[in-house]
Amino acid sequence: MSALHPDNETLTRGEGLVLNLYVISALAVVVVMMLFGLIMRMAQGTWINVPPDIFYQLMTAHGAGMVGTVGLASSAVMWFFLRKYVRLHVAMFAANYVLFMLGALAILAAVFIGGYAGGWTFLYPLPVHSMGVWSVNSAALFMVGYLLIGVGFLVFYLDAMLAIIRSYGNLGRGLGLQWLFGGDLDKTHPPAVVASSMVVIVNSLGILGGAIVLVMCLINAYVPSLALNALLVKNLIYFFGHVFINASIYMAVIAVYELLPRFSGRLWTVSRPFLWAWALTTVMVLIVYPHHLLMDYVMPHWMLVMGQIISYTSGLPVFVVTAYGALANVYRSGIRWSVPAQLAMLSMFGWAAGIVPAIIDGTISVNQVMHNTQWVPGHFHFYLLLGVLPMVLALMFHLIDARRPAGGAVLRLGLPLYLLGGLIFVGAFLAAGHVSAPRRYAAHLPQWVPYDQVGSIGAILVIVAVLLFATYIIVGLLGAPGNATAHAAR
Amino acid sequence: MSRARRACSIGAAALLLLGLRMPPVKGALEATMTAQMLLLMPLLFVAGALLRAALPARIVPRSAAWDYRGITGLVLASVASVFWLLPRLLDSAVSQPAVDAARYVSIPLLIGLPFSVSWPRASFIVRGVFLLECVATLFRMGWLYLIWPHRLCNNYLLDDQQRLGQYLVLIGLAACIAIAAKLLWGRFDALAEAPPRASAQH
Repeated sequence: MSALHPDNETLTRGEGLVLNLYVISALAVVVVMMLFGLIMRMAQGTWINVPPDIFYQLMTAHGAGMVGTVGLASSAVMWFFLRKYVRLHVAMFAANYVLFMLGALAILAAVFIGGYAGGWTFLYPLPVHSMGVWSVNSAALFMVGYLLIGVGFLVFYLDAMLAIIRSYGNLGRGLGLQWLFGGDLDKTHPPAVVASSMVVIVNSLGILGGAIVLVMCLINAYVPSLALNALLVKNLIYFFGHVFINASIYMAVIAVYELLPRFSGRLWTVSRPFLWAWALTTVMVLIVYPHHLLMDYVMPHWMLVMGQIISYTSGLPVFVVTAYGALANVYRSGIRWSVPAQLAMLSMFGWAAGIVPAIIDGTISVNQVMHNTQWVPGHFHFYLLLGVLPMVLALMFHLIDARRPAGGAVLRLGLPLYLLGGLIFVGAFLAAGHVSAPRRYAAHLPQWVPYDQVGSIGAILVIVAVLLFATYIIVGLLGAPGNATAHAAR
Repeated sequence: MSRARRACSIGAAALLLLGLRMPPVKGALEATMTAQMLLLMPLLFVAGALLRAALPARIVPRSAAWDYRGITGLVLASVASVFWLLPRLLDSAVSQPAVDAARYVSIPLLIGLPFSVSWPRASFIVRGVFLLECVATLFRMGWLYLIWPHRLCNNYLLDDQQRLGQYLVLIGLAACIAIAAKLLWGRFDALAEAPPRASAQH
């Protein structure tokens, strides 16, 4: 295509192997986690009987598994495109995968062997006060799993940092800060580098927060006399958790910047508003997390006010420049609507619509009555299912697009099914939140059950679609001769 | 390293170690928990780092074989540091001559010296992991000292312990800001390479 979006995406054999591992593992885990989610929704909908202890185990595995896997898959998007502009080391990419898998094994063992069911948030002091349901060792193993995953991501980000610094001088230049107030803007500066620079900055700080709080919770697990400040622990957990999941979309959105131009035939160049948006979001992502704590009346008042205001603004700059950029990129371009292009545009819709419930919930007066309802799962499922996952799937289809004819019957059925199922599924959550159905409850009152049943139907449709996608992608990856060794951009 | 510079380093290390053994200096630096951890121990670390010049010229290159990218040395320094973060050892070092001697030997030789040998070998990624863990440890130790409800040392009072906690958190914060600023705006001439791949294709 051009120097801005270089055609050459050739993978070495080793790179192809590691990328295949990422893609296949992510798809497999996502399907399993979706099945866990379906079981939970069907149990709430009284269609199946699941004991509460198993329900909370599934909920814990589903939350941790989905957040982690979306992060893993998004890091594959970032790696795949960033390596075209800077020199990344596949060994570090592989190290992230290995540490992630070790961490995932620890988490699964903690949950399904040790019985840990304290939620992905491991909010103090729940992990160490299980009333005999699980042991302290199980809770500790769960946290060790998180630590392993954190180290893996840190290694991956450090490699990306090194590569960006080597090519651009420092992370500020990678982010394009030198052009914020003037200067001769280099329009060939790749958006992938801007996004990656932002992600490595914010998520390294997020990992630092996680590393502090996880070890403190581990110390507390074995020295219970050392009481932690529960509010500080919660702050740190949500700081790292929020930054981590936000970083996922900022890694995955690179697929939109890189793929849409291929099909529209128009470059996606950086502009000053684009750079300002990413710079502002770099700061705001780090300070927005108090919107998770708006119900904690003991929080400092200024932090709650900041949480509300930044909630309104945090995601908007990058979203606006990306959505506007996407629309401008495809408008009257004669774009070829291949599957990656469709998924990229779907992700714009999912991102746009998915943040609306969050902005509403970020208002303190609304949050007081909505935050512990299914409104919030409605928001993050919308954002992840119809926003982030389509971005990741866009890369996966792009990987096999060179080898299999795009838009087969499977995909013609799968995409509408995915969208329809997704909308039913998240709509059921939001509607249940609207009638105050609480979240994280294993058993529901009769008046909430219809929402759960509708949500289950939506989940089934989504799972069928994702199974179709996963089969198509995995067969494509494994079946092609010399799989993943080369594919040129169109 | 020139002979003169080598002699200077070794002399400075010896002087520093001797100076830190002088009763008035030692007494002052052990008078508070804060001074012991934030002044005495870092100075012992510096003495150890200066001792690198005392190593025979052939030793340092040879050690590279078992110190891949500085990982072995940095792990050794980290493990040894963990012991000297324990309040019990801080306390015992003041009142028990054997522990005191162990402190004067182990911090320079097991922390300062390995660090100074291994740090130049360490890659960006190894340094990054090491620094993040150091900053995290500063925050964790600071937090622990701040919230521990009782005196951890017989020789030091609770307010001293909590003051140390505050300082550790502040140092962690300062280190975090300094590292972030360096990454965002700093110069990395040693790491620079050819222009970016894409730009190079113009």
